[in-house]
Amino acid sequence: MSSARVNMRPSSKNTLLKVVILGDGRVGKSCLMNRFVSNQFDEHSFHTIGVEFLNKDLNLDDCTYTLQIWDTAGQERFRTLRTPFYRGSDICMLTYAIDDKSTFSNLQMWKNEFLYYADIKENTPFPFIVVGNKSDLSSTEREVSQVEMETWCNENGITSYIETSAKDANNVQEAFRMAVRQWIKLETRADKNEIPFNDTVDLKTKHVEGRTSCCIGSGDE
Amino acid sequence: MSETSESDEVRELFVQDGVLLFSAAASFINFVKSVGTLMITEYSDGTKFIEWKPIDVTVDSDIQDQEWAVVNTVEKRIRTLSGTVPPEHKNRSKYLRISFEDIKSFRISDKSRRLTLNDGKSEPICTYLFQHGNCDHLVGCLKTLVKTVASRRDKHLFIIPDIKDPEHEKIDRSFAELNVCTDSAYAWKLWNNFQERPVVATFEAFAKITDLVYRGPEHREIDADDVKEILNRSITEYESTTTTHSQGDYEVIDVPDLPKRRDFPRGKPLNLEQWLGVQDNEGRIEDSECIKLMIFQGGIVPSLREEVWKYLLDYYPWNCTKIERQKLVSQKNDEYFSMKLQWKTMTKTQEDNFTDYKERKTQIEKDVSRTDRTIDFYAGDNNPNLQILNDILMTYVMYNFDLGYVQGMSDLLSPILHLMQSEVDAFWCFVGFMNKLSSNFDADQVGMKEQLSNLHTILAFIDPDLAAYFDSHDSGNMFFCFRWLLVWFKRELSEEDCMSFWEVLWTGFPCDNFHLLICCAILTEEKRKLMDNNFGFTEILKHINELCGQLNVEKILNDAQGIFYQIKESEQLTDVVRLLLGLPILSNNSFDNHETSPFEESIDASNGSSSSPPKCSVDNVRISPDEVTFEKSLSSNFL
Ligand SMILES: Nc1nc2c(ncn2[C@@H]2O[C@H](COP(=O)(O)OP(=O)(O)O)[C@@H](O)[C@H]2O)c(=O)[nH]1
Ligand SMILES: [Mg+2]
Repeated sequence: MSSARVNMRPSSKNTLLKVVILGDGRVGKSCLMNRFVSNQFDEHSFHTIGVEFLNKDLNLDDCTYTLQIWDTAGQERFRTLRTPFYRGSDICMLTYAIDDKSTFSNLQMWKNEFLYYADIKENTPFPFIVVGNKSDLSSTEREVSQVEMETWCNENGITSYIETSAKDANNVQEAFRMAVRQWIKLETRADKNEIPFNDTVDLKTKHVEGRTSCCIGSGDE
Repeated sequence: MSETSESDEVRELFVQDGVLLFSAAASFINFVKSVGTLMITEYSDGTKFIEWKPIDVTVDSDIQDQEWAVVNTVEKRIRTLSGTVPPEHKNRSKYLRISFEDIKSFRISDKSRRLTLNDGKSEPICTYLFQHGNCDHLVGCLKTLVKTVASRRDKHLFIIPDIKDPEHEKIDRSFAELNVCTDSAYAWKLWNNFQERPVVATFEAFAKITDLVYRGPEHREIDADDVKEILNRSITEYESTTTTHSQGDYEVIDVPDLPKRRDFPRGKPLNLEQWLGVQDNEGRIEDSECIKLMIFQGGIVPSLREEVWKYLLDYYPWNCTKIERQKLVSQKNDEYFSMKLQWKTMTKTQEDNFTDYKERKTQIEKDVSRTDRTIDFYAGDNNPNLQILNDILMTYVMYNFDLGYVQGMSDLLSPILHLMQSEVDAFWCFVGFMNKLSSNFDADQVGMKEQLSNLHTILAFIDPDLAAYFDSHDSGNMFFCFRWLLVWFKRELSEEDCMSFWEVLWTGFPCDNFHLLICCAILTEEKRKLMDNNFGFTEILKHINELCGQLNVEKILNDAQGIFYQIKESEQLTDVVRLLLGLPILSNNSFDNHETSPFEESIDASNGSSSSPPKCSVDNVRISPDEVTFEKSLSSNFL
C-alpha cells in the first residue's frame, strides 16, 4: 500500500478518491465524466487537450466519497504528459467503445501503462473497472460483445465491468458506484490484513459484505 | 552518520517529504532510489543533522525522473518547526544521518531539484532528488543555520567554511565591530548577498542600519560611511584570500526591482488603405517590418485578414510582385493536389500494410469530428467543411510524414480554413503556422517541456514570489499552462478573439517567445487568487482550466507588452532571459559554466530551424532493459 493511499483511508466521513479514466481517443471518456459530474451530454464536445479533472461527491452506504476524476488525452504522443497523473490513483476506469473493436483490443495496453506508471506493486489487487461505452448504439454497429468483455475481464482478474451510455445516461452513475464499491472492498481487505484489530474495519466489513452482490465474482487475488 | 542515543530530545527544524535518495554511500545502497523525508534536526546537545528516512515505497528511476513526476493529489509537507518529536519517531536507526560538522560543501543542480552533500573527500556523501518542488526551502533553512559561501569556481557549489579558520574569524569580527547584525547567521546571509548582488545587499545593509538608528538609544548610532567602510574592508580582506564575486546564484532571492509596468493601449487595426499604401506599383511590400509592427499594435481589420495572413504565415513572400504571386499560387495548387492524390489513391491493402499511416488517418477522423463543431461553419452532420478539414490534415501527413498528425493540429487549422475558405490556401497557411509551432508536437514532447521550463524561467525573473509559490506547490513544472501553449490559447478564446490574437503573435514583435509573456501576464493577474486561496497542484490546474472563455485579448496583449518593457529596461536583466526573448547578450561570460541547462544549450537550435535536436533535460537517466522494452511496446508506432 503506498503512503498516498494510506492517507486516504475512509477514517473520516468524507473520503477523497482519485479516479483516472483511461482508454483510446473518442471512446467517450470526457462524455462519461461530464455525464457523471453534471449530467450533461454535449454532441459538440471538443477532444481533450492536456489533462482535465472534475470533482463530484458520491454517497454510498452513509459515507460520502469525493471523486476526483482525471480525464486525459489519449494520443500516444502525449504519454509522457499523461502518465505522471496516474500516481496516487485509487481507482482506474478502463474504457472502450462497443462499436470499435480496436479500442477494446487496446485495454491491455492501457492497463499495463497504468500499472507501470501508477507504481502499483506487483500482485497487489487494484480497483479496476472496465467500461464499455456507447451502449445506446444499435446492435448492427456493435463490434464487441458483452461475452468478449467478460472473458477479458476474467482473464485479467477484473471483477467490475459494465456497459454504459454517456449519451443516454445509462449506467453511468452505476459505473462509478461500482468502482467505489470495488475500492472499498479491496481497501477493507487490505486493512484487515494490516491492522487485525480495528473497530472501523469491522464496521466497514459489514457494509461491504452486505453488498457483494454488486461486484461480480471475487477472483481478484 | 554518527550514532546518537535514543533518549536524546530531537527537534525537527525542517521537514520536507518526497525527497528521493539518489545516491549514497554503500551502507545505504538499499535505500537508494527510494523516496523519503528529509529533515534538519537538532539534538539536545546542540548538534545538528541532516537526516533522511525512507518511506516504504520504492520508485522506479524512470518514474521519479519524469519531468512531470511531481504530480500527486496528496498534500506534501514542507515546514519549518521547532517542536519536539513525538515518541514514535524517536527510533531513528534507519535514518541516514549526516552531522553538520561533516558537511564541507553542498552543490545544487538540476534547477534546484538535486542537492549533493560533500564531506570534502572525492566522493560525495549523498545526493537527494526533490520530487516535489525543489531544495530552495531546505537550503534557505540551512543557510540560516550555517555559514555558506558560494564557490568561486562553481556557482552551484556552496562551501561551508571551517569555523576555526582564522579568515572567518576576521569577518565575524568585522560584523561584530559593525554592531549591525546581531546574529552572525544574518551577517553571513548579508555577506553572501553582497557577493551575489552587491547593490541590493548594500541597500539591505543600510536598511538594517536605518532600522537600528530609529530603534532607539540602546543601539549605537552608526554613521553610514563607517558601515560602508567596514563592510568594504571585510569584503576586500576576505576576497583577496579566499574567494571572489560569484555572479548569479542558482536562485534569485531578492525581488528584482523591475521598472513600473506601463500601459500599452491597443492601436487601430491595419486597414485596406494602409495596406495598399505600403505596396509598390507591382504589388511588392517593401517595408514588411513596418506592417508587422502595425499588426502587432492593432491587428488587422477582418476583411483584410484573408490576404495579409498569407504573408504572415510565409505563404506569400513579402517582396513578391502580383505576377509572381499568381505564379506561386498555381504552382502551390499543383503541389497540393499531387500530395493529396498520393493518399487519395491509396488502396485498402496499402493502408492495412502501413500502420503508421493508418494510425494517423484514424486519429484525424476522430479529431475532426470534435473540432469547433459549435461554429456554424463546421456544425451539423455531414458538413462538407469537415471533409476539407480532414483532407488538409491528411495531405499535411503526406507533406510532413515524420510529424504526421498530432492532437491539437486540427485546432490550429480550423480558424485558418474558416477564414480562407479555400482548401489550398488554408493548407499552405497551415504549413506556415506549423513551421512556427512544430516543436509543440515533437514525438517526445521535448518542445513543450522546454517551453514550460522557459516560461518558469521568465516568470521567476518577473515575479519570483509567484514562481516560488508554484515550486512549493508541486507546480514548478508549469504543466497547467500546457493547453495554452500547445494550441496558442485556441481553446481559451472565441474564434474571433483567437484570430486577432494569433495575428499579433505571428508578427514576431516585440521579441521572441512573446507568447510566454502572455502567459506571465495572465498568471500574474491571477496571482492573488492562486496564492490567497493557497491553491495546490490540482486547484491551480482547475483554476487555470476554468479561465477558458474568461480572457480579454486586448488586456493580456497590453499587459504582456508592459511586461516586455519591464524586463527589457530592468537593470538586473540576466542573459538567460535575454536569450529567451532574443535580446542581445551583453556579457558573454555567463555561459562558461558547466551547469548550463539543456534548454539553454538548445536555444540557438530552436530559434533557427532546429538543426540539432534538443537534448533531453534529465541527466543521469538510467533506464533498465525492461523499461526500454516497455517503452518500445508502447510507442512502437513512433520509432
Ligand atoms: N452514441 C454515443 N456516442 C457517444 C457516447 N459517449 C460519447 N460519444 C461520442 O463519442 C465522441 C467522443 O467522445 P469523447 O468524450 O470526446 O471521447 P474521449 O476522447 O474518450 O474523451 C463524441 O463525438 C461523443 O459525442 C455514447 O455513450 N453514445
Ligand atoms: Mg476526452
